[in-house]
Amino acid sequence: MPSKSRREFVKKATGLIGVSTLASTHAHALSLTNPGRDAKDARYVGQEGKRFGMVIDLRKCVGCQACTSACKSENKVPKEKFRTYVPEYELGSYPSVRKAFLPQLCNHCAEPSCVSVCPTGATFARKDGIVVVDNEICWGCGYCINACPYDKRYFNPISNVADKCTLCAHRVDHGLLPACVESCVGGARVFGDLNDPSSHVSRLLATFPATVLKPASGTKPRVFYIALSGEIQSLPYSNGILDDAVRKREGALHKEWSSKGE
Amino acid sequence: MDFGSLLHTISSITPDRPWGIDIPNYFWFTGSSAAAFIISSFAHVFGMKEYKPIAGFSLLLAFVLLVAAPMNLIDDLRQPGRIINFFFYGWENFPTSPMKWGVLLLMAYPLLILAEAIVLYRPYFTMKKGVAYTKEQEEKDHRLGVLLGAIGIPLALSVHGYTGYILGAVHAIPLFHTPIMPILFLASAMVSGTGLLIILLPIFQKFFTDFKRIDYAMMQRLARLLAWFIVIDLVIRFFWLTFAITFNNEEKYALKLFFGENFWEVLIVDYVICLFVPMAIGFIRFFSRSLKWVLFAGVLSAIGVWIFRWNTVIGGQSIGKTTPFLLEYHPHVFGFDSILSVVSNWSLLIALIAAIMALFPWDKEMANYYTKEQ
Repeated sequence: MPSKSRREFVKKATGLIGVSTLASTHAHALSLTNPGRDAKDARYVGQEGKRFGMVIDLRKCVGCQACTSACKSENKVPKEKFRTYVPEYELGSYPSVRKAFLPQLCNHCAEPSCVSVCPTGATFARKDGIVVVDNEICWGCGYCINACPYDKRYFNPISNVADKCTLCAHRVDHGLLPACVESCVGGARVFGDLNDPSSHVSRLLATFPATVLKPASGTKPRVFYIALSGEIQSLPYSNGILDDAVRKREGALHKEWSSKGE
Repeated sequence: MDFGSLLHTISSITPDRPWGIDIPNYFWFTGSSAAAFIISSFAHVFGMKEYKPIAGFSLLLAFVLLVAAPMNLIDDLRQPGRIINFFFYGWENFPTSPMKWGVLLLMAYPLLILAEAIVLYRPYFTMKKGVAYTKEQEEKDHRLGVLLGAIGIPLALSVHGYTGYILGAVHAIPLFHTPIMPILFLASAMVSGTGLLIILLPIFQKFFTDFKRIDYAMMQRLARLLAWFIVIDLVIRFFWLTFAITFNNEEKYALKLFFGENFWEVLIVDYVICLFVPMAIGFIRFFSRSLKWVLFAGVLSAIGVWIFRWNTVIGGQSIGKTTPFLLEYHPHVFGFDSILSVVSNWSLLIALIAAIMALFPWDKEMANYYTKEQ
């Protein structure tokens, strides 16, 4: 009967269209990584063959925080959030005391514990080792923030997803230095390609004994320190004495999370 | 390193901590769901007749808890509109991201419980339609029920075990970082699930059934079961804490600091009041015969496990990674991930319990076991 065959035709046609649409979206949608990496976008791939890292020569750091402010303005880092900063410590006991500065930023680890736990593939290491977050993919679960042993990730209140230091990838890809390195008055921060034996970073590492923060965490950081005191290397769990300038000004109790110190 | 006393951090910033009050609540919900499922399997899979009357009820409870639980996670996301990204991208991280396993489990597990509940209550549904329920059909359904229950047990263990995995995998946080975390979470889950059952069962038996009678023997049995689950929980916690604080590497300093500062909340409130007291009530016949004491034990243990979840999730994050000492957490009252979120989630749970218990003829099934006795 014509009506029956028409119904059959409609059935089969819709079925076929349905299956093919599903199959095609699947082929495009399901990804091991994320769309940017699948599309081989240069910002996602990075500079192949290179391995970027930083050497921080603590003998030259004067704790001026030029890096902190340069980073904030270069990367438009929101209020109260920091991609890099320089905590100050007081070592020893009176009268033999001295101050120490420890510039910190994302270590762009070779074994980043933040990347392996990411359930959306939003955070990943580029081929040049720079660990970045795709802020259009990240769903803001915060797993990476907890997984980072260095406290170097935060929720960006504007994009509402995880955010972090990119080693100024947008500058590096155009042959410029990261903002914190460019602005370092003492020349303590040195940036370069660890794969290139003639680069400044490689020569420094070959010349001076260098170490990393929390080596026991097994993340293989690619930010190295020269003249790092043992007292602060593992960022120990110390007394509740902390002059948290931001919290002091803004008030502690209004925040969800705040430092307990004085 | 023993330089702590010679070092003062005089200036730093406060780092971000992502997980708030929603997460302990989520862990409590999934844990209690897994426990309710296991208790229902005592009868369905292991054939323990004494748990038959509550098997259906606790199965439905397991379902409801697991439907409400993921709402906590969605509320905790900063970009809940991007849930689809989870399904589309990042599959290369599947082996190393327990969160990736979790979402799949969270979808499979409630579907399985629902299927099991439908199979279990099929005789009542078919009778309602006026269709005869044959002996053959009954045997078939029984086999299917056992099969679903048998698949469900590992699934229930996984659905809560993975939450322990999520925390245990975080080596950056000393309080989370232990391979015993999944087992620890399961053990405490059995405590909270049994506690919740102890609270809800008499309410439902008394007010929402035709026989309107509380099964005191069952309450005593559950109190006993609760006490044994607490024993298991305490033994696991003993192993955990003795290794973590005494024989650990540098993580032990952070843990000593944490447990020292939170001595009251952890040891007195959580361990003594919320675990030892209910355990004593369950084991001492004088108390376990009294409904009031058993209810008290149920409430204490349910609250105690919630506090344990809080102490673990919030407490773990309070430990400084780059900053000295501990951080403090003050949940927001309104908005995402706030006290109101948790209150809403509980309200949703109550609404769902009401809806599911109205839809499924659990009271008629339960009445079978009590009317026969008379």
